[in-house]
Amino acid sequence: MGPLIPNDIISADWNNAIALLIGICFGFVLEASGFSSSRKIMGTFFGYDFVVLRVFFTAAVTSMMGILYLDYFGWVNFGQLYIHPTYLMSAIIGGVIMGIGFALGGYCPGTSYCAIAIGKLDALVYSVGLFLGIYIFTFAYPLMESFYNNGFIGYVTAPEILGINANLFVFIVVIVALGMFIAATIIQRKVKKVEY
Amino acid sequence: MKEELFISGRDIPNIDPFLHIWHWQIPIYLYLGGLAAGILFFAGIFTIMGKEKDMKTTVKWAPFLVPGALIIGLLMLFLDLKHQLFFWQLYTTIRLQSPMSWGAWVLMFITPLSLIWVATYLKEVFPQWSWKFHFLEKMELLAVKNRKGMAWVMITLAVILGIYTGILLSAFNARPLWNNSILGPLFLVSGLSTGAAVIMWMTKSHYERKMMSRIDLVLIIVELFFITHMIMGMLAGSSVQIAAADLFLGGQFTVSFWVFVIILGLVFPAVLEILELAGYKIPVAIPAILILFGGLVFRFIMVEAGQITRYLY
Amino acid sequence: MSEKAKKDYSKTYLNPYFGGVLLGIILILTFYITGRGLGASGAAKSTVVTTIQSVAPKYAEKSHYVSQFISDDNHPMNNWLVFEVIGVFAGAFLSGILYGRLKPKVEHSPRITSRKRLIVALIGGMLFGFGSQIARGCTSGAALSGMAVMSLGGFITMMGIFGSAYLFSWTFKKLWI
Repeated sequence: MGPLIPNDIISADWNNAIALLIGICFGFVLEASGFSSSRKIMGTFFGYDFVVLRVFFTAAVTSMMGILYLDYFGWVNFGQLYIHPTYLMSAIIGGVIMGIGFALGGYCPGTSYCAIAIGKLDALVYSVGLFLGIYIFTFAYPLMESFYNNGFIGYVTAPEILGINANLFVFIVVIVALGMFIAATIIQRKVKKVEY
Repeated sequence: MKEELFISGRDIPNIDPFLHIWHWQIPIYLYLGGLAAGILFFAGIFTIMGKEKDMKTTVKWAPFLVPGALIIGLLMLFLDLKHQLFFWQLYTTIRLQSPMSWGAWVLMFITPLSLIWVATYLKEVFPQWSWKFHFLEKMELLAVKNRKGMAWVMITLAVILGIYTGILLSAFNARPLWNNSILGPLFLVSGLSTGAAVIMWMTKSHYERKMMSRIDLVLIIVELFFITHMIMGMLAGSSVQIAAADLFLGGQFTVSFWVFVIILGLVFPAVLEILELAGYKIPVAIPAILILFGGLVFRFIMVEAGQITRYLY
Repeated sequence: MSEKAKKDYSKTYLNPYFGGVLLGIILILTFYITGRGLGASGAAKSTVVTTIQSVAPKYAEKSHYVSQFISDDNHPMNNWLVFEVIGVFAGAFLSGILYGRLKPKVEHSPRITSRKRLIVALIGGMLFGFGSQIARGCTSGAALSGMAVMSLGGFITMMGIFGSAYLFSWTFKKLWI
């Protein structure tokens, strides 16, 4: 019955060793899919290379379906999984600021680590920027503390809030994702090719 | 009247014997000893095989690191002593039953030998070097002529030094983690592997790099085998030995052992070396640094974990 | 055996759908084994906390934010995300070797200079770092792992990031194409 470590089927001391192995697989797949190149990542926003969209939504859909299936078979106790908490204002504002940073930097932290591993210097500068940004946040925190803790809705899932069945929700997401993939293929064919 | 109440099992401070006495100086000494043994072994063996021309870094340049490493290692030992002013008494007697005596004497012989070896090559680094005194020049000529003889002595002493770093720990029969006979060969192989990694990193010759990386790959696989069988042996032993093995299999040293020693220190560099042999280009610093770091962390973990395992309670 | 005349794989990538499925499987395994998802910005935060703690321990204790992550019995770097990120470096390095993509360079659009790219990357990183702390995660942690368990916060953050990035990337179009 999963998840294994919270249920003590594997000793919790192995957790960080497993983290390393998972990280190796994660980094390998990210780099092999091309996420170590900032111009390739930004292609999603300009239409010449939709790899981010495809990989991201395929991964999200696969993992959503996979976890729900495991829960359905009784292999995983969904209630024990960590659900990212929803702080309404923080999520939106944080997301918007991150989007600007993404548009400028062309990386997100995970992909910047992959890019550093293959030698991209702009990714190295980007992660230095990450550190500085976090550091500035620690200074600004006392001013933002109330805003930061505002709007706490809880560790909720989207289907709970929308009031629909989780399976129906995933089905809708799959349809939306398929629609986006088709649209992406059409757009990519029409857009001028870019050499990177 | 001042009273203190103890409500506990055992391991009461100031009453039960204090067991954690070896700190960071000992692992550093073990590591440097193994590293020096590795470099000297390869220098000696390639000299005997007559390959000095092909393996210049192995035979000439890497041994330049050895005297420094041995002296720093001895300094670490000295710093660890409680009665430091009496260290010289170790050299007034030879006690065959004591691993420490063996170690002191092996180091006493191997350090000057490595200095002589390095001295014979000084003229190649500093062409203007002159030995000021005539008899030193004659001694250098003598040493250069007898390089092969020195090499034979060097590989013997290097193997003894490498194994001794493990025997030093495995002689403690009250520490179940240490008290197994494979620790000596394990530390020897680990020392040879770190020595090969240093040579692999230092060399500019393609042939030498390939040779040392193949040797290092073999040594890593043998080392993994020894570690596996050490743990298997402990799991098949008495309950204190099983508890000792459990420190690495779900206990407090699980992460540092598996992440830094096994995966990042042995398996991942081995994979990189195999890829290198298959034709992919890899910057040599990465596997070399990982192997060197893994060896150091391994010594630290063994010394730290060993002092936690015990028979009493 | 020296360099054989090898085919250049450096522009070959995995099929994106295949890569997405692999990533999804990795996420499922992660949730199954550890009960939580992946992340990336958390490791950067741990590094910053550790740096602040070693350079200015008094400030670290006084600061409301940093003091949350310092505890006496666990070093802030001894957490799941840091080990995962070490693995990410190793895995990406391995993939870079296999595909022949290991090359130190600054990747930039031909319309701007390397220097400008580096400056812009620094600013982008700062904004992203700041925003990731507000949203308590980045694309890997909040968006990807959040969406895997259908978390509302994950979806909102993801839509915020991609929506805002779409808008602003056209403003900064010259940086990329």
